[in-house]
Amino acid sequence: MIERSVIDHGAPGDVIQLDGVTKTYQGGGPPALADVSMGVAAGEVVAVMGPSGSGKSTLLNLIAGLDRPTSGAVTVAGRRIDTLSESALARFRARHVGIIFQFFNLLDDLTVEDNVLLPAQLAGASRRQARSRAGELLARMGLESFRDKYPARMSGGQRQRVAIARALVNSPAVLLADEPTGALDTATGQEIGALLRELNEGGQTLVLVTHDPGLAERYAARTVRLVDGRLAGAGVGALR
Amino acid sequence: MSWYGPVRTATGGLMRHKVQAVVIGMVLLVSTASATLGLALLAAGNAPFTHAFAAQHGADLAVTVNPARATATQLAGVRDLRGVTAAAGPFAEATVQVQYQGQPWGQFTMAGRASAGGPVDDAVLSSGHWPDAPGQVVLDEASQDFGGLQVGNRLTITGLPRATSLTVVGIANSVTDTADGWVVPGEIAALQGPGTPPSAQLLYRFTSAGTSAQLGADLAEVTGALPAGTVTGHYPWLSAESQNTSNGAIMEPFVVAFALIGLVMAVLIVANVVSGAVVAGYYRIGVLKSIGLTPAQVVVAYLSRVGLPALAGCVAGVVAGNVLAIPVLSKSAEAYGVGHQGVPWWASVLAPAGLLALTVLAAFGPALRAGRLSATQAIAAGRAPAAGRGYAVHRLAARLRLPRPIGLGLAAPFARPARTAVSLAAIAFGATALIFAFGLRSSLDQASAAQSQSATVPVEIQPNGPGTAAGPGQWPDAAQDAAVTAALRAQPGTAHQTTVYEDGVKLPGLPGSVNAWAFGGSASWLGYGVIAGHWSDAPGQVDVNTSFLTASGLSVGDTATVDTGTAQVTVHIAGEVFYPDSTPTVFGSTQTLPGLATPGNLQQWDVALRPGTTTAGYVQAVNHALGGSSPWAATTQKDGGQFYSIAIGLIGTLSLMVGIAAGLGVLNTVLMTTRDRVHDLGIYKALGMRPGQVLTMVVCWIAVPAVIAGAIAAPAAVALNTATVRAMAATAHTGVPASFTQVFPPSRLALLALAALVLAAAGALAPAIWAARARPVVALRTE
Repeated sequence: MIERSVIDHGAPGDVIQLDGVTKTYQGGGPPALADVSMGVAAGEVVAVMGPSGSGKSTLLNLIAGLDRPTSGAVTVAGRRIDTLSESALARFRARHVGIIFQFFNLLDDLTVEDNVLLPAQLAGASRRQARSRAGELLARMGLESFRDKYPARMSGGQRQRVAIARALVNSPAVLLADEPTGALDTATGQEIGALLRELNEGGQTLVLVTHDPGLAERYAARTVRLVDGRLAGAGVGALR
Repeated sequence: MSWYGPVRTATGGLMRHKVQAVVIGMVLLVSTASATLGLALLAAGNAPFTHAFAAQHGADLAVTVNPARATATQLAGVRDLRGVTAAAGPFAEATVQVQYQGQPWGQFTMAGRASAGGPVDDAVLSSGHWPDAPGQVVLDEASQDFGGLQVGNRLTITGLPRATSLTVVGIANSVTDTADGWVVPGEIAALQGPGTPPSAQLLYRFTSAGTSAQLGADLAEVTGALPAGTVTGHYPWLSAESQNTSNGAIMEPFVVAFALIGLVMAVLIVANVVSGAVVAGYYRIGVLKSIGLTPAQVVVAYLSRVGLPALAGCVAGVVAGNVLAIPVLSKSAEAYGVGHQGVPWWASVLAPAGLLALTVLAAFGPALRAGRLSATQAIAAGRAPAAGRGYAVHRLAARLRLPRPIGLGLAAPFARPARTAVSLAAIAFGATALIFAFGLRSSLDQASAAQSQSATVPVEIQPNGPGTAAGPGQWPDAAQDAAVTAALRAQPGTAHQTTVYEDGVKLPGLPGSVNAWAFGGSASWLGYGVIAGHWSDAPGQVDVNTSFLTASGLSVGDTATVDTGTAQVTVHIAGEVFYPDSTPTVFGSTQTLPGLATPGNLQQWDVALRPGTTTAGYVQAVNHALGGSSPWAATTQKDGGQFYSIAIGLIGTLSLMVGIAAGLGVLNTVLMTTRDRVHDLGIYKALGMRPGQVLTMVVCWIAVPAVIAGAIAAPAAVALNTATVRAMAATAHTGVPASFTQVFPPSRLALLALAALVLAAAGALAPAIWAARARPVVALRTE
C-alpha cells in the first residue's frame, strides 16, 4: 500500500501526474477544472469527490485521454498524453488505461466475451492471447458461464463485473472508475467495491470518482475533493 | 390550440439536426431536379414532331415551282384555293455547291426569306440572327450538323461565275426541313448557276392533310391552279415526320429507363430519410409531450420538421431541374429535329408537388405514431437498435479472422434490416444506372462506328468535288470515274478500295422499292455489323437489313428473286446486317446484282488505308491527284452522328444525377446509423479504437449492402442494357449484332460492379470522417 501526503502536486515517478491543468468547455462559463495539479502513485487508490458539476468526471476524462485540457500537462504511465495525436491517444488508451463507467457502457450487440475481448483486439493482441486473458478475467469475476450471454439479459452487478473485466483485459497501468457503484443497489455496490479493493491489493492503480463518501472512506487511500473545478482539500481513506 | 409552438419546436429540431435537414433538402433537390428533367424528357419524347409541327406552323406541303412559268398573280392566287388555311412564299431558292476550308461540303438548297417567322414554317433560331444583308446565311440544324458548321464559319459557293462566299450568322430549325439554309431574298439571284432555271418554294397548310391521299389531293389542287410545268417538286410533311421521328424515338427507351430509375430512387431515399428523421426525433417529441404538447401538435411539429427542408429542397430542385433541362432539351430538340423544347409547366408543378406529397405521406405515418405514443414510450423509441437484431451476425463476425473494426462494421447493418434494405435498394439502383450508362455508351459507340463504318472505311470518295456540275441529275462521266480508280490505285496508302453502286430494285410480291447496294470488288472488309448469318462470300449471295426481312417475311438462309431492272436473279440471303433504315435494303456484289454497276448508280468509293497512313494526308494526296476539275473528292469519315453525341451526353447527365442521388441516400443512411450508434462510437473510442479504425468500421457499415447491391446491379444492368439497346434498335427498324450488347466481359462487369462499393464508400465517407474525428467524450455524451 502506498502512502503519501494528503495534498500533493505530484512527484517524479507518479503513474498519473497533472500539472496546472485547466479545462474550459466551448460556450464560455467558468472552467470545469482550474489549475489542478496532482499526482497518483503506482498502486495507489485515489477517490475523487465533490458535488455535481465540480469537475470530477472532467478530471477523469482528462486522465483517460478522452478529452484534452485547455492548458496544463497530463502525464500518465510516464507519457505526456495531452500532446498526443488522436490516433496515438487511442493507442495509448487501449494499452495503458482501463475505464469503468457508471452505466457500464457495454455493447449490447456483443456477447460478454466479445465485450471483454474488444480492447485487446483493438490493441492488436493475438486472438489466442486475448481469449486466454478474457477467459481468465471472466473466471476471476465469476462470469465464466456468462461468456456467450448478452449484457442486456444480465443484472447490474454482473454487467459492472463484465465492464471491470473489459477494463482489465489489457492489464492497464491505470484503472479509472466513474461512479462504479452509482447504478447499483447497496449490496451489489459493496460487492463491486470489494472487487476493486482486491484489484488494488494486486497492485492495480485506481482512480475512483464517487459521490459516496462511504465508498471513498472504505476503499481509497486518499481522497481528493473538487469544488468548482479546484482542488479543495483532501482526506485519508481506510486503505491508508 | 396554438400552432406556433409546434412549428417553433420543429424548427428548433431542425437547427439541432442541421446535417439531417441538409440531407433531406439535398435528396429532395436532386430527386426533384431529376424528376423534373425526367418528366420534361418524357414529354419531349412524346410526339415531339407533332408538338413542334403545331408550334412552328409546319408546312403540310412545300411545293417547288418554276416562277418563270407562272405570273405573280397566278402564284398568289393559289393562296385562296379551297382548303388552304395558310400559305407563305413564293420564296426564291437556289441549289448550290458548298465548300468549307477548301473541302467540298455538299449540295445545299438555299431559300431567300426576309424573316424567320410567318404564317407557315416558323424557322426557330437556336443561335445567331436572321440574315439582314447579302453574304449572310442561316443554316438549318440538320445541314449544319452534317458537317459541324457553326456560326462564324465562312462558306465558299462553287460553280458560279463569280466567287461567292456566305458567312454563317445563325442556326435555325425548320420543322418541315424546307431548306438547308436561308439568305436574304436578294441573294438568291447571285447564287443561281448560269443556265439554271429559276426556282421558288410555296409553303401551305391545309384543312385536310393528315394522310398521303389527302396530301395528294391538295397537291393536285395546287398543281391544277397553276400553268402546266410550273410545279417541279413537292415535299409533304409526312416525309419530314418520318425522318425526324425515326431519329428522336431511338432515345425514348433509355430516357424512360433513367427516368424510372431516378423516380424509384427518389421514393426510396425520401422514405428512408423521413423514417430516419422520425425515429431520430422521438426522444425530443417525448420530452416535449412530457411538458404538455398535444398529440396533434406533435404531428404538426413532426411534419414541419421534415416538411420545411423538403419544401426548400423541392423548390431548389425544380429550379435546378429547369436550369439543367435547358441544355439537355436543346440537344434533345436537335435530335428530334424540332426547333425548341422547353420544360412543360405541368412537369415543374408535378415533380415538386409529387415528391413533397410523397415526403409528407412518408412522414405522416411515423408522425401519427409519434403523436399517439406516450411521453415515456417516445423517449424510449428513439434509442438504439431494437434488442435481438443482428446479434447472431455480430457473433459470426467476431469469429471471423478479420480486423475487429471491419468485423464490427460488417455486422452493424443487420441491426436495422429495414433501413439497410432500403439503402441496399438505393445503392443497387444507383449502381445499375452507372453500369447501365457505361454499357449503353459502349453499345452506342459500337453502333456509331458500325453505322458510319469510320473504323473500317476511313476515307470515302464522293461526288461533291470542286468540279461537280450544279443541279441534280448531272453525274460524272466514265472518264472521271476511271480517274478516281487510277488515283486510288496509285496511292501507296490504299489498302482496299471498293466502288459502291446504289439503285432501287424490285422483289416480286413485295410492294414498293427495295434499295440495293452493289459492291465492285471485295466488300468483306467494309465492316458491316452482322446480326445473323455471315457476310456474303460467294457469287449469288446477298446480305440484307432487318427491314428487308421484316417486309419480305424471309429469313437468313432463304432465297429471294431480285429484279434489278435488267435481270431477275435468284439470290441466297447469307446474312442480316446492321443498317438502320426503314427501307428494305439488299447488299451484294455487282456480279450478284447485275445491271447495278452503271455510272449513274455509282455513289462512292470506300477506301481502307494501310497501317501508318494518315487519313488527312491521304485525303489531301487523292484530292491533289484528282485535280480541281474532278467532280469527285476524297473525304474523311466522321465517327457517328448527332444522335450518338446527344445520346451519350444525356446518358452522362442522367447517370451523374442518379449517382448523386444514390450517394446522398447512402450518406443519409450512414448518418442516421452514426446518430443511432454515436454512444457506441464513444465506447469504442474510449476502449482504444483509433480514428482510422473508426473510419474503416463506419465505411464497412455499408459494405455488405454495397456488395449485395453490386451483385444485383451487375446482371440487372446487363439485362437493362440489352433490352434498351434492342428497343432502341427496334425504333430504328433494325436488329443489333450480338457484339453491341455483349459489352460486359466478366472482368469488366466485375470491375463495374465495384461502382456499388464506390458509391457506398463515397456516400459513407463524410459521416465516417465525422465519426472518426469526434472526441470520445463528446460521442459518449451525445445521445
